[in-house]
Amino acid sequence: MAHRDPRRLSRRQFAVLGTQVSGAVVAVLLGIPIVGFLISPLFRQQQVVWRKVGDIAGVPDGEPTKFDVAFPLDAWTTAEANLAVYVVKSGDNTRIFSNVCTHMQCPVRWDSALHQFLCPCHGGLYDINGTNVGGPPPKPLPQYVHRIDGTTLFVQNRFTEEL
Amino acid sequence: MIRRLGAAYDWFDERTAIRSLLRKGLYEAVPVRGAWFYTLGSATLVLILLQLITGIFLTLLYVPSVTEAWSSLNYLKEHDAFGSIVRGIHLWSAYILLFVIGLHMIRTFFSGSYKRPRELNWVTGVGLFVLVLAMAITGAFLPWDQAAYWTAVVVTNVPAYTPFIGSFIRALWRGADTVGPITLSRSFGIHVWLIPAILFPLIGAHLALLRKHGEFGSYINYRGAYRSREGVDVPPAPAQRPIEPPYPAAPSDELWAAPLQTEDFYPHQTFKDGIISAALVVVVFSLAVTIGAPLEAIADPATTSYTPVPEWFFLPLDELLVLVPQQLIPLVLVLPTGGVLLLLALPFIDRGPERNPFERPAVMVPGAFAVLFVVILTLLGSGRLFNL
Repeated sequence: MAHRDPRRLSRRQFAVLGTQVSGAVVAVLLGIPIVGFLISPLFRQQQVVWRKVGDIAGVPDGEPTKFDVAFPLDAWTTAEANLAVYVVKSGDNTRIFSNVCTHMQCPVRWDSALHQFLCPCHGGLYDINGTNVGGPPPKPLPQYVHRIDGTTLFVQNRFTEEL
Repeated sequence: MIRRLGAAYDWFDERTAIRSLLRKGLYEAVPVRGAWFYTLGSATLVLILLQLITGIFLTLLYVPSVTEAWSSLNYLKEHDAFGSIVRGIHLWSAYILLFVIGLHMIRTFFSGSYKRPRELNWVTGVGLFVLVLAMAITGAFLPWDQAAYWTAVVVTNVPAYTPFIGSFIRALWRGADTVGPITLSRSFGIHVWLIPAILFPLIGAHLALLRKHGEFGSYINYRGAYRSREGVDVPPAPAQRPIEPPYPAAPSDELWAAPLQTEDFYPHQTFKDGIISAALVVVVFSLAVTIGAPLEAIADPATTSYTPVPEWFFLPLDELLVLVPQQLIPLVLVLPTGGVLLLLALPFIDRGPERNPFERPAVMVPGAFAVLFVVILTLLGSGRLFNL
């Protein structure tokens, strides 16, 4: 066998390198768009819209009242889905709560006998001010971004604080 | 005619070597003792194949869309009796699969079958167990009825309690901040393509490893055989053993190198496998026809009357969600993740040659406590939700 310059690639080493480079090119060219597609929701803004809830003049003081408001479903869907809006008046103060529990996002409901918001999933409790007062919820009940024109309530499909 | 068929078979064999493949596949040596325990593995496989077949046919009708998913399954329920049975088989074989794969795992744990050289049989098995659970989770989202919707909301919200990156994981899984159209599309794609694309090759690896090392019964099956009059376990003389592949060919003094007696896989083991699997399929079919797969009202995020009740296999996790105080919610993630990691590490922790479960308290006691913990959580959860 002839003496070979060790600094030069052998035919075999060249073939190994070529195989690896080909594999890497395919992996990168496929990987970038697929990973980008997968994580694109992290960089997407959810559609935020205003919706009219209605006249809240009739909402009694100290008794949370539920309204259903249709909001567009996310992304391409043209259909809409109802979200629950709890209007709570106490004196001059009007708070607009969601029914989304801060623990596991289950649907809370006002229990007038308990005089508390109750989460049916894991027993979370909130008082009439939305403060988490029992069970596992780590935060107060979320409030909708809203505005009140006279006695007409409008809400956005987003909360004042992110969940 | 027979001769013609024989000639055709010869022609086919010359080109494919089908004869030796079948011989290798069917006449493998399997241990005589413990054979009924091995039926748990084949029953798991049969139930997974049942999932595959019924799942394929369900995609002929089901539409993975928030506006159509529930309607398509409601159509099935109202207008297609046989289709309803197919969906019933899909659901009930999934339930029974979760149960049987658990038993299969407990059997392997109990008999110490994960020991050298079968560590990777166990590791691939844990991988399959996790993938089957992932199938159960993603499958539970698809009907888009109230049960499915609220399961999706709660389950995708659990990883949100991961420190620092929790809300990113949730958004990644949901495809948005809230559960919606992209969540359903993703879950469907993961359920019918992504997980099966990993699951089935892994089953292949699990079976290839099984064939490589052979089955091995538990200590219980060999108790009398290895016990001499003095009450000391001694292996019989190597010469007494009819050692066949895949067991080590060279005579070995090691107690657990080879079973005492073997027989052909076909028809001896396939008979027992067949009896158990057929019995399970009969049970699945009966449940599919009598009870069927339920479909509740369509998903309604604004509900104030619906009480979300988790699938039975979520009960331990759901009970943890109730019991864990608000400062420690990440514990709900840590416990199952830690459990899976411990299962993966098991064959590398318990490395001694001892297979008698009563001589392995270091793994048997924690294992028993873990099973007991899950059972107690399940009982507490069902007591809370169903007022038992």
